[in-house]
Amino acid sequence: MMNQAVQEPEFFVYLSQILGKPVQDGYGRTIGRLADVSANLGEPYPSVGGIRIHSQGRKAPLYLSWQDVRESNGSIRTEQPPTEGRALGENELFLRDALLDKQIVDTNGAKVRRVNDLQFLRSHDRLHLVHVDVGFRGLMRRVGLERAMDFFLQSLFDYELPNQFISWKYVQPVSSPDLLRLSITQNRLAQLHPADLADIIEDLDIHQRAAVFQSLDVETAAETLEETDPKIQVSLIETVAADKASDIIEEMSLSEAADLLGDLPRDKAEGILKEMEQDIADDVKELLAHPEEEAGGLMTTAFLSVPPERTASQVLEILRLEAMELDFVYYVYVLDPRERILGMLSLRELLAAAPEARVDDLMDTRFVTVRLDEEPDEIAEQFAKYGVMAIPVVDRDDRMKGVIPFRNLLELVAPKLGK
Amino acid sequence: MFERLFGKSAGSVLANLSRQGAWRRFAVFFALIGPGIITSNVDNDAGGITTYSLAGAEYGLSLLWTLIPITVVLIIIQEMGARMGVISGKGLSDLIRERFGAKVTFYLMIALLLTNLGNTVSNFAGVAASLEIFGISKYASVPLGAAFVWWLVVKGSYKSVEKAFLFACLFYVAYIVSGFVGKPDWGLVGAALVKPTIRFDPGFLTMAMGLIGTTIAPWMQFYLQSSVVDKGLKAESYPYARMDVVFGSIVVNVVAFFIIMLCAITLHKSGVKIETAKDAALALAPLAGAYCSWLFAFGLLNASLFAASILPLSTAYTVCEAFGWESGIDHKFMDAPQFYSLYSLMIILGAGIILLPDIPLIAIMYYSQVINGLLLPVILVAMLLLVNDRRIMGDHVNGPVMNVFSWAAVAGLVILSAGLLVSSLLF
Repeated sequence: MMNQAVQEPEFFVYLSQILGKPVQDGYGRTIGRLADVSANLGEPYPSVGGIRIHSQGRKAPLYLSWQDVRESNGSIRTEQPPTEGRALGENELFLRDALLDKQIVDTNGAKVRRVNDLQFLRSHDRLHLVHVDVGFRGLMRRVGLERAMDFFLQSLFDYELPNQFISWKYVQPVSSPDLLRLSITQNRLAQLHPADLADIIEDLDIHQRAAVFQSLDVETAAETLEETDPKIQVSLIETVAADKASDIIEEMSLSEAADLLGDLPRDKAEGILKEMEQDIADDVKELLAHPEEEAGGLMTTAFLSVPPERTASQVLEILRLEAMELDFVYYVYVLDPRERILGMLSLRELLAAAPEARVDDLMDTRFVTVRLDEEPDEIAEQFAKYGVMAIPVVDRDDRMKGVIPFRNLLELVAPKLGK
Repeated sequence: MFERLFGKSAGSVLANLSRQGAWRRFAVFFALIGPGIITSNVDNDAGGITTYSLAGAEYGLSLLWTLIPITVVLIIIQEMGARMGVISGKGLSDLIRERFGAKVTFYLMIALLLTNLGNTVSNFAGVAASLEIFGISKYASVPLGAAFVWWLVVKGSYKSVEKAFLFACLFYVAYIVSGFVGKPDWGLVGAALVKPTIRFDPGFLTMAMGLIGTTIAPWMQFYLQSSVVDKGLKAESYPYARMDVVFGSIVVNVVAFFIIMLCAITLHKSGVKIETAKDAALALAPLAGAYCSWLFAFGLLNASLFAASILPLSTAYTVCEAFGWESGIDHKFMDAPQFYSLYSLMIILGAGIILLPDIPLIAIMYYSQVINGLLLPVILVAMLLLVNDRRIMGDHVNGPVMNVFSWAAVAGLVILSAGLLVSSLLF
């Protein structure tokens, strides 16, 4: 084995170098020109399985299996007659059609890139797709000016433009919905942070957006949706069926869910609400009743409130059980039976307290509240003045309706920063 | 600043309005219009106004009728661009790259860059010329204009910029008002509009071709399609996009109509010879009054600034889209270096060339016009191939009737731009 590896040096070849090359039969006659190569994209490093040939004067292309092709340094020969048709295997695609000049997601750099070229590793008569070329050098190679550019940069700046490759294992093709549905071992987009996924989705066109979004699992979809621009949120959620949409929206924070449903056409929103779990739907409907940019629209109703006679250990137990359902866990509010705020406790205070201490002894009775119709500017001022992480919202009768975590306000204020 | 002036994004405005029921249809239209009207109006840039003024001053009302076929062709071509944007969700340079490959795209983008640079230069020249009428030196007006353009785009968001542009469209009314100030004989004007006159002297034909060339330019196909995509219009709302395009195409030619008419009934009648739009504005003062002259100059300033804002931006977007470079004014410089470099280069060169002493402005315009003429047929044929590609457009490909009209329109334009090219090379 070792010996063989030495005899057969491995090296790289670009798709652009073999496309358009003449394909010759056993007698050295040209059958046609290489138009495309196919590969099974389900493999970790897909190997070329077949080629498509365009011959002059024929409209229909010809096909050959890669096993019957002998390729070395730009000459392609075959002993076998090419066939008229060729069935592609599962996950097998023609690479030029599917990838070249198309957009891909670089899951390592979390960016949408355009494919300038594909690089194969030649090993044991097989070509393995290893790198996707997204750099300027790849572009100039395609244009046919790579040497001219090298000469120019060398002689003027003594500089050689490096290649910009992305390893195939970090690449997620998105150019058609089919590419996302391929049973590739796993969807590589799942490796991305939802905030990066949201940026990527915003960079794609409408069809790719829908395809990428539909390929995500419910939880990732919800997290991604929270990070996406509201206008795009609406168009994304409209691409999925009401039952899946309701599953996704249930996973979102209540205030985000309410904002999104508020932006949807009424019939669509009602359809989704009907599919949602009753209690979540009720909470969302309550939030929907308030204008988006007032305290009532910014708040979430998924907060923790306890009666004054509970002990610290009981509250911690409740927190443990409810934590995943809550939008905001850091403050616990102590309410009287008529839902008026008596005081509040931070998680830090709870953890530091003696387990048997009653919350009405531990709580801080100095707290700020805002009314349901408070404007964002006013709320922001309260946050700045008191340095709190959340502000409770009360109605006209001082009953607690929800809480505005700082994060919710930030989304409203952030676009105005730095402008 | 713009955020406060113009309020929330169209999306949330739309959402709020839709809750109010009665306003809904009206609101939908106003949230969806924009791309077509803006594109058409940018088209009436400094070069356009100059051409219209020259056409009116030299040939009187006899070229007025060409505006009707120009409007029809403009609608046919822009409609295809808007449709491709809505259905494919991609910009034109995206589609060209994916369908025709890297090599074709590379050379097309170089040509587009050059011709757009030429257009930008002519628009900064328009800024300089219009303000010189008010006695402001070009060494003050051009740097200020460039700074304004930069500030508008870098500090404003896409939405606020679009609104500022829509607002600027209103100022084209200046030309319509100045047209009325000139007190035309409407009977004569109406007759000239509907009765085609053709004269077979080279000057007349060149001028007719110039009118078409200035109205249907390569860059606008890219700009229109991208802004339709940016609006995120869905197939259901396509009828609104089409209304937008039709409305925009008509408005642009109404403005052209008033400029040609005004110059015809004043300058042509008195036999005044002009060479630039500035000459036209100055010559109007004794013939139609100082207000008319000022309105004309103000219109030129507005048009030049407007186009000078859009052209560099559109060029940078288009090129970055084709090559997969990060683009958009929401990014920091280091995240989108190619985008910002292209954008800056267009403004710096565009404004800088005007400030050079003794620049061969006529030669620059001339070569940019030649590249324009070479590029337009290629872009139009590419558009027709793309719009008829079922893999991209599905069932929204051109119908047989539309194909007859569009191929005829494109063939006509190809012949005309070849003619323009030959005549500009010969004379």
